[in-house]
Amino acid sequence: MPIDLKISGAVLEKGSSPGVIPLLNAFKSFFAAVTQLSLFAWRFLKEVFKPRYEFSELVKQSYLIGYKSFPLVAITGFIMGLVLTIQSRPTLAEFGAESWLPAMVAISIIREIGPVITALIFAGKVGSGIGAELASMKVTEQIDAMEVSGMNPFKYIVITRVVAATFMLPVLVIIADAIAMYGSYIGVNLKGDVSFHLFFLQVIGKLSFTDIFPATIKTFFFGFAVGLIGCYKGYNSNNGTEGVGQSANSAVVIGSLAVFIIDMIAVQITSFFT
Amino acid sequence: MNNTGGNKIRLGIFVSVGAILFIAAIYFVGQRQQLFSNTFNISGIFKDISGLQVGNNVRFSGINVGVIGNIQQITDSTVRVDMVINEHSRKFIKKDARAIIGTDGLMGNKILVISPGVSGKQVIANNDIIETTVPVSMDDILLKIKVTADNAALISGGLSDIVANIHDGKGTIGKLFMDESFANNLDKTIVNIKQGAGGFKRNMDAASHNFLLRGFLKKKDRKEKEKRENEDK
Repeated sequence: MPIDLKISGAVLEKGSSPGVIPLLNAFKSFFAAVTQLSLFAWRFLKEVFKPRYEFSELVKQSYLIGYKSFPLVAITGFIMGLVLTIQSRPTLAEFGAESWLPAMVAISIIREIGPVITALIFAGKVGSGIGAELASMKVTEQIDAMEVSGMNPFKYIVITRVVAATFMLPVLVIIADAIAMYGSYIGVNLKGDVSFHLFFLQVIGKLSFTDIFPATIKTFFFGFAVGLIGCYKGYNSNNGTEGVGQSANSAVVIGSLAVFIIDMIAVQITSFFT
Repeated sequence: MNNTGGNKIRLGIFVSVGAILFIAAIYFVGQRQQLFSNTFNISGIFKDISGLQVGNNVRFSGINVGVIGNIQQITDSTVRVDMVINEHSRKFIKKDARAIIGTDGLMGNKILVISPGVSGKQVIANNDIIETTVPVSMDDILLKIKVTADNAALISGGLSDIVANIHDGKGTIGKLFMDESFANNLDKTIVNIKQGAGGFKRNMDAASHNFLLRGFLKKKDRKEKEKRENEDK
């Protein structure tokens, strides 16, 4: 007759190795978190189109999430373009294809590196910020106070931040791409002599709509994921003040992971149409 | 943070810059693909399009004048390629212009190159079909390289036989290089020729002092001297 051992909620059958228990627990926790996050996302989708709309808070959050992230994203974009150009030059020079440098860097940045790196920076800055802010609001019972006073805290806190993150990240990515191209132009001219007009023509000459549109569309999903995960982690924070740090940390880690997963799916979808 | 007017303006500028950059990128890429300019269509029928794709450039006199609009297989051996050409270039493309598929650089994309027709001919019209030239495919080049390589192999085989014969001392050149007796004979012949030439010189010196020939030789010297003087003048 099999004997079942219950340890920390996980069921261990007779003959199983004890090392399996943490693994089972991890799986359980993971799927439970996925379900919770999906329910959170579903609640967001149900409430986002319902009045009352918090436009003033949305503008404020857009300013904090978008405009305030601009300097960091701009510096990252510039370095990204400059470094990629400098690093790519020797390989292209071996093939005598240095004239392909602007086009190659432009396609790399606009299709992939620009959106992903900007989204990761965004997850680091905005995701952690939202996670920590909402967690501290939870700990200090501000969210409960809102509910008691008749406000809808989910609408005021979560929806405004997620919508702002969804729409601000594409803007940041577009500007970061443009700055990265300027960095690339400087990188090209460190060891060469290419006019800005020629550089511009070489970049535009090799770009197509299939480079621009999928890359821009996926940034909306990146922004949505970072905002939603940050809000979810902060909104469902526990463990008191210790939970604030945990929420901020896990918002960044899970947000960054979500960016890569969405990117992988986006690439697969894009490859169907190109 | 309050929603002050300054913050709203900053946010507005930030979003506007992003939107303008996006629209500008769409505009310039679209312009390159002839989306925002007046265009006309022409077509060409090819047997093999060598990997040409929709969106590849159409070049005329080295200038990008349009793009490939559509590619359609008509029969098992013919492919129709529709080109979207900028209206500004129409006046330069004549009815007898020809299209050929080429490559942009050594490793670049495929392009369609239109060669200009005769200047007196009528200008091409919308939806005209132009003549095409069969492009030299990589397979053809490789086939020719193979034939050349086979010939080179035959030649090198023959050369190898000749070198082997020379090494064995066979044939005239082989004897010349490898046969020692031949070289000795040649050496003796040269010695004999030298000796013969020395004797001949002595005979000629003696003849020049002979009274029968002295007059003739003096007359000849005088004529040569006069000739030189005339040339100097």
